Amino acid sequence: MRGDVCTYRLAKMKEILNTPLLTVHEASVEDLLLTEPEPDHPGKCRVTGVVLGNGSTVHAGSVILTTGTFLRGMIFIGLEMHPAGRLGDQPAIGLAQTLEKLGFAVGRLKTGTPPRLAKDTIDFSGLEERAADNPPVPFSFLSEAVWIKPEDQLSCYLTHTTLKAQQIIHDNLHLNNHIRETTRGPRYCPSLESKVLRFPNRKHQVWLEPEGLESNVIYPQGMSMTLPPELQEQVIKSVPGLEKAKILQPGYGVQYDFLDPRQLTASLESRLVQRLFFAGQINGTTGYEEAAAQGVIAGINACLRVHGKPPFIVSRTEGYIGVLIDDLTTLGTSEPYRMFTSRVEFRMSLRPDNADARLTHRGFEEAGCVSQQRYEQAIKMKAALEDGIATLKSLQFSISKWSQLIPEVPISSSRRSPVSAYDILQHPEANMEVLARAVPEPLGKLAQWKELAARLKIEAAYEWCVVSQQQEIEEVRRDEALRLPEDLDYFAIDASLSAEVREKLDSNRPQTIGAVSRIPGITPAAIVNLLRFVKTNHQKTEKLKALPQTGKYLPEEMYSEKTTSQRQISAEFSKEEPEYLC
Amino acid sequence: MALRRPLSAAGRRWAQRLCSAAWGGDTIFAVSSGQGRCGVAVIRTSGPGSRGALLSLTARRPLPPPRVLALRRIRDPDTAEPLDRGLVVWFPGPRSFTGEDCAELHVHGGPAVLSGVLRALGRLPGLRPAEPGEFTRRAFRRGKLDLTAAEGLGDLIRAETEAQRRQALRQMDGDLGRLYQRWSETLTRALAHLEAYIDFSEDDNVEEEVLSQVDAIVRALEQEIGAHLQDGRRGELLRGGVHAVIAGPPNVGKSSLLNLLCQRPAAIVSPVAGTTRDVVEVALNVGGYPLVLSDTAGLRDATDPVEREGVSRARDRLQHADLVLAVLDAAAVPTEPDGLGAALGALLPPPTPPCILVLNKADLLREEGGALRETCTRGDPLPPTTLLSCKTGEGLDHLLELLARQLARLCGDPLAGSPSLTQSRHSLHLGDCAAALARYGRERRRDLGLAAERLRLARRHLGRITGHVGAEDVLDIIFRDFCIGK
Repeated sequence: MRGDVCTYRLAKMKEILNTPLLTVHEASVEDLLLTEPEPDHPGKCRVTGVVLGNGSTVHAGSVILTTGTFLRGMIFIGLEMHPAGRLGDQPAIGLAQTLEKLGFAVGRLKTGTPPRLAKDTIDFSGLEERAADNPPVPFSFLSEAVWIKPEDQLSCYLTHTTLKAQQIIHDNLHLNNHIRETTRGPRYCPSLESKVLRFPNRKHQVWLEPEGLESNVIYPQGMSMTLPPELQEQVIKSVPGLEKAKILQPGYGVQYDFLDPRQLTASLESRLVQRLFFAGQINGTTGYEEAAAQGVIAGINACLRVHGKPPFIVSRTEGYIGVLIDDLTTLGTSEPYRMFTSRVEFRMSLRPDNADARLTHRGFEEAGCVSQQRYEQAIKMKAALEDGIATLKSLQFSISKWSQLIPEVPISSSRRSPVSAYDILQHPEANMEVLARAVPEPLGKLAQWKELAARLKIEAAYEWCVVSQQQEIEEVRRDEALRLPEDLDYFAIDASLSAEVREKLDSNRPQTIGAVSRIPGITPAAIVNLLRFVKTNHQKTEKLKALPQTGKYLPEEMYSEKTTSQRQISAEFSKEEPEYLC
Repeated sequence: MALRRPLSAAGRRWAQRLCSAAWGGDTIFAVSSGQGRCGVAVIRTSGPGSRGALLSLTARRPLPPPRVLALRRIRDPDTAEPLDRGLVVWFPGPRSFTGEDCAELHVHGGPAVLSGVLRALGRLPGLRPAEPGEFTRRAFRRGKLDLTAAEGLGDLIRAETEAQRRQALRQMDGDLGRLYQRWSETLTRALAHLEAYIDFSEDDNVEEEVLSQVDAIVRALEQEIGAHLQDGRRGELLRGGVHAVIAGPPNVGKSSLLNLLCQRPAAIVSPVAGTTRDVVEVALNVGGYPLVLSDTAGLRDATDPVEREGVSRARDRLQHADLVLAVLDAAAVPTEPDGLGAALGALLPPPTPPCILVLNKADLLREEGGALRETCTRGDPLPPTTLLSCKTGEGLDHLLELLARQLARLCGDPLAGSPSLTQSRHSLHLGDCAAALARYGRERRRDLGLAAERLRLARRHLGRITGHVGAEDVLDIIFRDFCIGK
């Protein structure tokens, strides 16, 4: 259920510190260095670096802010509250003020973390054990297996809260500032308090997860709370298996600033301050994958921006990253945004098994963030899949012949025309091994390559769905291809749009017609009128661009000279491989 | 997912296949004649299936030469039953309105013919009713739309959506509306619960029982929609026809007008289910056009709470009306056009739907009658206006003539509310919805993700009637019904 916290942290640190040309500097950032904006981009100024806590400066071609919960972070335990980004860490106040002064719309969100428990004080004997995946599936297409032996993995354990916990929480609401605070909480139940208040008189699930192989820390998932520590202890002790559990660190709540992500473009660059990028909780999201996904995109684009290359944008039809960033930058968010699969229109096409076919070539060709080895492997697999599918489709027999060949697959069809091996593979009982046994030539070869065989099976199973969605996907892509100018003044443009629609367009700043159509309350007529305006406008700009523009590019060159020294910083991102691009 | 730089032959084939899928696209159809005419209606298709559709509907006679009108007998491709004799045109892309292959069928504008042709088109594989503005957007994508044309079309689309909004509001009032709404809620909830199971069963204790509940709900819904589609009485449920409201101050003879119209042999009267105590409603057939006529409480600032409620309902009804019969007392109105216009404006503040001004109690007029009679023929800024005496029946023929003319105009706008057209659109979407629900059961035994996809598809089809349901609505239900979060 989770990776080893310590091992992961060490491995990542090693990776970062061993990245060539990358200088790592650890310090608090207090302020931004700003200068005149570039003329060709929207924005009232441009960032050129950061000011550190000790007053020294670091210059940069672009800057990414990933402040987590540190921006004016405030920690809550019971009635106590004190400024901190994380227990024991100072919050970022100066930076928050700078951003506010620059005119960023700032909101406030809250989150929390459960108390940590000492493993050796928990009685696991009566609890339900949940063994880890066997075999565990690696994230990366480059890994054939994870490094750990399956039997060396640690189990998680399941226990439940009792009504006693509910009683304690109810009796002590007056001692619980975080829960009473009006800062808008999410619709889901992030804390134990919200669970028992919204779903009373029932047990709530608690997963006891070890934090690491060598660690004595247990993370009780589902028990985020902000009661005073002595009451947290009472709640913990009311849970079966935790009667004697010792709390190593109490649970607490954090409230922090986030910036309205509608102020960003789809490349995660701020519209207000050029070359300033944001990623993670500062954009109103919550969760590791959500943060990592934005980090990859902001990193890639910060680097591309320095090199004067076009931004790297993942479409909603290409990956969850696209859905996440489009939702954030088009619609904004009023609660910590989590990626749920129900948000994804084309879920059946955006699967973990085909992430390499969807995104690796783009990462390699456009972003330069994919290694040669990974790229070649993805291309090889894609070609093999294509050939495999062609082979399976061309292999056709009558239904009766198939029934004879593979009696274990119940084929009920009234079709008189021949049926292909690919059609047969769609049956739940069929797989490449079964098919290869029946028709060793030419299928034996395909079945031998285990990963290929597994992927062919998946492709076959999802084929109808992917094919039937293809039209819709094309529709969305065509709308996404109709880009809107970034500096449109929706209140001023001469298009037949109602004041309400103008208001919506202005606050949401959609970048494409596709995004416009996802804004609630925008009518089809408004979309057509906007299209018409942009088309006329576009024709005018095209004419302008056709004019000779000598000297226009001089400032650009100046920037690129300035930015060469910053390659070191951006190198961090170009080394980053898109493990999470799915 | 198209490859940017395909490296191998296989890669190239892959890309080609995707491209051809992209070029394929689906084929849309809609009645595309504008408002104002009713004799002939134009049904337009756009997309690669246009050619096949035209062939199918004309009994596979050879296509006429491109862009040339040809007379054809139009038949139902399944039953070979003749639907109409009309003119057809074939516009192979790119020289067409949208740049895609297009076809046009110019048929007689009666609701029966139109709905017959639309149903036949809807049953052809790959064809579906167009969404509002879809023709225009396709034309835009192909760079086909000249800007002045787009200006007009933007207005047309606005009118389309306005008519649909009015109709949708009205339907949501009726029994059928309530039925669709209930299905919509049931289906959304089933989908939300399935999504909750997919996303959260492991971490957050969404139990297996949820799945069997969803199965049962989907099965029941599928049967219910199936039965509904078989049920010939659904026409009675839909309060179809042009909705006209009689409005005016108290005591000008609104109810007398209703009675007069009902008794007239030219108008066939039938009671409509769901008639409310306060708004009296009858269905009439005037000049072959369906008309639902409502009598409302007199519009005035009432003090009595019961009357005030009646007035508020009358105003509500006015907002949803396709046509207003505004009744004023002929003896109490100014005789010159501007004054009369102002009196009407006081009764019906803009924006008003199409209107006929009826000046009742003409029998009480004395010397001012001549001036008023002249004013009635003036037209602009006044709507079609007539003098009438409900008491003597004088002027009724003229009123019926005006009414028939207005109805003809309104019915020429196919979206304005012909019940059979709405029905054929609904039954197409409901049929698709039921088919997706039926496949849910089969997928469910194989793969939860694929089963959920069938429900999403069913939801989308139903959403074309009841309105779109977004991811946030689904999440609302998930978080309301399940305790989720860590």
